[in-house]
Amino acid sequence: MDAIIIETIVKAALVIAVFSALAGFGTFIERKILAFMQRRLGPMHVGPFGILQIAADGIKLFTKEDIIPQHANKFIFMIAPIITAATAFIALAAVPIFPEFTVFGYTIHPIVADINVGILFILGAMASGLYGPLLAGMAQANKWGIIGSARTAILFMSYEVVTGLSLLAPIMLVGSLSLIDFNAAQTGGVGEWLVWQQPVAFILFIIAGFAETNRTPFDILEHEAEIISGYATEYSGMRWGMFFIGEYANMITISFMASLIFFGGFNEWGILPGGLAILLKVSFFFFLMLWVRASWPHIRPDQLMWLCWKVLMPIAILNVLITGLVMML
Amino acid sequence: MSLNKFKDRNVGVQNYTLIEHEAFPQTGGEKFARVLKRTIKGELFVGLWVTMRTMILALFNGEIHTVKYPFEKLPISPRYRAIHDMLRLLESGHYRCIGCGLCEKICIADCIKMDTKYDENQRKEVTEYTINFGRCIFCGYCAEVCPELAIVHGGRYETASQQRASFSIFDDMLTPIDALKEQKEYPGFGAVSPNADDNIKKTPLAY
Amino acid sequence: MSNEITIKIDGKECKTTEGEFLLNAARANDIFIPAICYLTRCSPTLACRICLVEADGKRVYACNAKAKDGMEITVSNEEILEERRAIMEVYDVNHPLQCGICDQSGECELQNYTLELGVDSQQYFIPDTKRENKDWSSVLHYDAGLCIVCERCTTVCKDMIGDAAIKTGARGGAVLDKGLKTTMPKDAYAMWNKLQKAIIVPSNGTEFTNCSDCGECTAVCPVGALVSKEFIYTTNSWELERIPATCAHCSSGCQIYYETKHTSISNPDKKIYRVTNEWNYVSLCGAGRFGFDFENRVDGKDEDAFNRAIEAFKKADTIKFNSTITNEEALMLQRVKDKFGTRLVNADALAFKEFLSIYSIASGNSLYKNDFREVMQSDFVISVGTSLRNDNPNARYAFNNVQKMNKGAGLYFHPVGDTLVPTFGKSVESLIHKVGQEELALYLVLDLFADKEKIPSDIKDYLASFHSTVKKTIKEKVMQSVTSTVVDKVTGESKEVTKKVPKMIDKEIEADENELINLLGGDSSKFADAFEKMMKKKENFSMIIGEDLYFHPKARNIARLVALIETTCDMNLVMIPPKTNSLGVALICDLDKEVSGYTIGYNEKADFTLSAIGDGDLDIPAINQQEGTFVNMNKVLVPTNAALEYKGYELNDILNALDIGKDETIDFTIELPENKGFKAVAFDDLPNGYTNSGKENRGYILENLKVTKEDIKVVTFNDNIILNGEIAYRCNPQRQFNDFTEKSEQIFEEFAIYASPAKAEKLGKKVEVKFDKKSIVLSVIVDDRMSGDILAIPDFRSSEDIYAIFGKNRFKQVTIRKV
Ligand code: SF4
Ligand code: SF4
Ligand code: SF4
Ligand code: SF4
Ligand code: SF4
Ligand code: FES
Repeated sequence: MDAIIIETIVKAALVIAVFSALAGFGTFIERKILAFMQRRLGPMHVGPFGILQIAADGIKLFTKEDIIPQHANKFIFMIAPIITAATAFIALAAVPIFPEFTVFGYTIHPIVADINVGILFILGAMASGLYGPLLAGMAQANKWGIIGSARTAILFMSYEVVTGLSLLAPIMLVGSLSLIDFNAAQTGGVGEWLVWQQPVAFILFIIAGFAETNRTPFDILEHEAEIISGYATEYSGMRWGMFFIGEYANMITISFMASLIFFGGFNEWGILPGGLAILLKVSFFFFLMLWVRASWPHIRPDQLMWLCWKVLMPIAILNVLITGLVMML
Repeated sequence: MSLNKFKDRNVGVQNYTLIEHEAFPQTGGEKFARVLKRTIKGELFVGLWVTMRTMILALFNGEIHTVKYPFEKLPISPRYRAIHDMLRLLESGHYRCIGCGLCEKICIADCIKMDTKYDENQRKEVTEYTINFGRCIFCGYCAEVCPELAIVHGGRYETASQQRASFSIFDDMLTPIDALKEQKEYPGFGAVSPNADDNIKKTPLAY
Repeated sequence: MSNEITIKIDGKECKTTEGEFLLNAARANDIFIPAICYLTRCSPTLACRICLVEADGKRVYACNAKAKDGMEITVSNEEILEERRAIMEVYDVNHPLQCGICDQSGECELQNYTLELGVDSQQYFIPDTKRENKDWSSVLHYDAGLCIVCERCTTVCKDMIGDAAIKTGARGGAVLDKGLKTTMPKDAYAMWNKLQKAIIVPSNGTEFTNCSDCGECTAVCPVGALVSKEFIYTTNSWELERIPATCAHCSSGCQIYYETKHTSISNPDKKIYRVTNEWNYVSLCGAGRFGFDFENRVDGKDEDAFNRAIEAFKKADTIKFNSTITNEEALMLQRVKDKFGTRLVNADALAFKEFLSIYSIASGNSLYKNDFREVMQSDFVISVGTSLRNDNPNARYAFNNVQKMNKGAGLYFHPVGDTLVPTFGKSVESLIHKVGQEELALYLVLDLFADKEKIPSDIKDYLASFHSTVKKTIKEKVMQSVTSTVVDKVTGESKEVTKKVPKMIDKEIEADENELINLLGGDSSKFADAFEKMMKKKENFSMIIGEDLYFHPKARNIARLVALIETTCDMNLVMIPPKTNSLGVALICDLDKEVSGYTIGYNEKADFTLSAIGDGDLDIPAINQQEGTFVNMNKVLVPTNAALEYKGYELNDILNALDIGKDETIDFTIELPENKGFKAVAFDDLPNGYTNSGKENRGYILENLKVTKEDIKVVTFNDNIILNGEIAYRCNPQRQFNDFTEKSEQIFEEFAIYASPAKAEKLGKKVEVKFDKKSIVLSVIVDDRMSGDILAIPDFRSSEDIYAIFGKNRFKQVTIRKV
């Protein structure tokens, strides 16, 4: 029992450390990729190819003054970013990262907590993460913040539905809510990937995932050109940084989920070992998010709702119905 | 060439191409149809391809447009209107400014000031001349009005500094006396037109 | 003379008066006729000829052709335009192309008319002559290269100022090609011909003008040829902000403009660069033009001093001040007196006030009848009891202008000999009398001008007692018939022939000898003839009286005499108030005689001094830093504006602390006492300018109220008041009036004894002058224009308290010791 507790604490610490670092690295990658897609060089001056820019930014964020506006609701203002960051990491707890491996005769499951309702847990944790922007926007006594949180509410109400419904069909197929089981269901190679059975669900999930992580084309919460910085307008220093650690952690989570649910998870892929396979898949989805950001314009909040309620949700329900029918026959 | 082209004073509009765009969808059905159409047509993937292609070219073909300012600088047009220079007479090295005050008067931002006095040689001496670059809008009027081609725009466009005064004093703007040989005439606003000689009427001085 | 007539200029009906110059008529009716050389109030010189117009088909010069009823004038036609253009082309020949640096640029009439007439090319030429820049005096700079010899400077100096210190001299330029006479427009040729020969030079033959340094010539110069030495090349005229104001140095209260700009690049505080004036309608003196930098610059409010000042006001027994203050300040001091019973002591205003009150009881009017504008219209001026050259420049200009413009005559009575006044005109008689004989001068005026029917019989008898009939032998030419016997050579007959031949014989005649003339230092035998000439064709008489009379031991009797002259002679009467606003102060304040107890000095040295000079216990604003009004010698209330910022406390703040103040100092303007002739007009409603017709449009004229008249007899002259021996006269040098002029940098006249050249030589460099109680040591300065033995001791420095030393007298017997 003690061993489990120690193991879990170590895993949790590792996840937080690694994924925080990855989030930072994510910002660097994003800047580089956006730069190349726009014929620029991106960060170049700190370290080779600007790689140490992450460290520089980190130092900056940590040392920057933490400003709390005079009329803000101080307590909520202060905890809002923590909600975002914390929920992002909590969600990661139920994500199996690699296949199990053995060190010194001790089998390690690279998942913090393999709970049998993993998918529900992740979705729930990520959804509660949206309280961060919602509360931050309302607590800061700033009109851009208020608009930001109003938009958060829109997003909240619209896309949770699509995420849930889109995953319902694969869940029905697999018959479990644990991601380990999903992984296990696709061991038979590329042909067994769920994406072939559920392409519509995959597309819906990806769209909803973009919205969930607040990425272009759905970055309406803090769209600079419209509402300064939305919910993050009054934030500075590390509090602001936490929002972004949360955002990038969420991006990674979504990428993991997409790979695990639809793309065969960490099963071996041809000659590739499972660990490498999942890394490649996750990287691709992460890259996709940046790629889309560089390519597509963002949409208006009303278009977002229209798309969700009038297009995506009916399609998702249809998908569930059809899946159910096919399964019954 | 016909003059019609010049008589059309709608500057800029002539080269516009109007884009025909389809009618906006009115009903929900139409809107849905458009979404469907666009989705199927793969417009979004064209967008993705454009950025991907750019990235590939950038990475593997070196098509990067970044200029590493301040390590690299692009040449500016000789007619560019940057921080002013005060020129000297080539022969005597005396500053050209006669203190007529026309630049001070015309300056749209009211940022030129000058102090003058009667000097020992019975001439008007410009004891100090300054431009408040916190206000100057680099319109070039001063260079255009100057009858002596004394004040011109120079090439110093890097105007960030801790003190405005760093640029704005007579001595800073004046061509250094040892650099007189390198002093260049300014071809922009206020320069002598190429046919200036033809336009001058001569006063009879037959004696 | 002032018959209303109607003329037509370019078809527009214009009302004017018979004999008015066409140019003035046009200007008064807002019609533009180009003109360069003409100066309103001076004689036309016909130097520029650009004012050429056509009147009833004939070419005339608008500046000297007189209007006749029904005249039809065409301002421009083709021929005239051609002529004018040629004139401007000629002016531009060899004119240096230096507008870029020229001080006149932007307000240059040469620039203006060159553009107006569209001169864009030049067809005339002539070799240039080298012309030098000259400094004519400590204030005048002449750039001969720019001079267009319009003669405005010489004209104003002669006709208005009276110095005639500059004239046209030989230029030594190339001679015009005679052929041009036929080929070029003839007026342009005539103008050019004159221009090529002339240049302006000091009239005394030296390099220096040695004049009054009034600077009026620099004001009238249409180009940049004459400018003040201090101003030259310091700024462009268009950068200056013009602030209409009133000069506060003497009681003329001339309208001026302070022209201000930031001091320099490093000092953004405003500074006065120059003073300008409407030179067509008002002429300044050197103090007004150059004495402008007397502002009191303080860094901020000195609260300690202010609190001490309030304490001082609460406990003060006396406030001592002088009349270089505004009406508002005077009223505020009066309010302090009303509330705290503080005594108000002001020597100059008190003397004037007393004089004025006796005069008004005797004459029935609260104020003297006339003003200096009327004096300028008259053709005979008498001046009594004022040192015309020093006391009030505009009184002197008026005296001079009458001689020059109205073919006038003048009588100048004064104990101090003056060599300038007699040069004003051929018909100026100057009677240098003994100190104390001023009453006699007035009796002489009565004798010469009074309607004998109107004067009381005892005075008539008294005047008659001076007259005696003397037998005089004069040579007379008579034609005598000489009869001689002529023998005819042919016939041998002798015949008597009568021929008329001239012969000089002595003849005894009975002449009237006027002893008054002799007593006053004249020669009665010569005076009679001279006076007869002076009186020829004269119809409008004026008398100027001055400060000597208010400070006279017999001032009361003199005031009555003056009233008597006013009622019995058909004569304009004007008085010169001793200091800037003595008249205003005299009307506003109840003044006390003696200083007593704890004293506050307002611009005077005392136990607690408020000083606009900056040397007192609390700073107050100088006149160029505050708004307010003055009453000038024309009995006009004139406004002045603040040209420069003042950061400290002013009198109104003290009054506010004492609960009797107002929001602004100028809120007092409307409350000036209406029972003294002021009107309830707010400061902001007071105009300050001139109309195109030259009409003064400034402030308002004080009402001359009726006063109950009492018949008081004048007494005869008693010669026990005549002073003999060394005499000192309280009199400022030209251009110095008060502490403010002294503070001004361009006014150099020192605080010293001024004496005639002969006297100065006797005195040496420095002397001690002993009065009854005090003595002062001063250096001696020669005043070329003084004659006689009287010394002039200035009173402009208030800290020397010269008023107190002289007491109620302007002349004092003194003893002198060389040091
Ligand atoms: S460039 Fe324009 S704004 Fe700047 S100093 Fe010259 S005139 Fe003034
Ligand atoms: S316009 Fe030219 S010559 Fe005139 S003051 Fe300005 S810089 Fe000097
Ligand atoms: S006098 Fe007039 S025309 Fe001559 S240089 Fe001066 S401004 Fe120019
Ligand atoms: S100095 Fe001036 S006012 Fe005198 S003649 Fe010359 S131009 Fe005229
Ligand atoms: S300063 Fe006055 S007195 Fe002297 S020359 Fe000029 S106008 Fe005449
Ligand atoms: S103004 Fe009449 S001649 Fe000059």
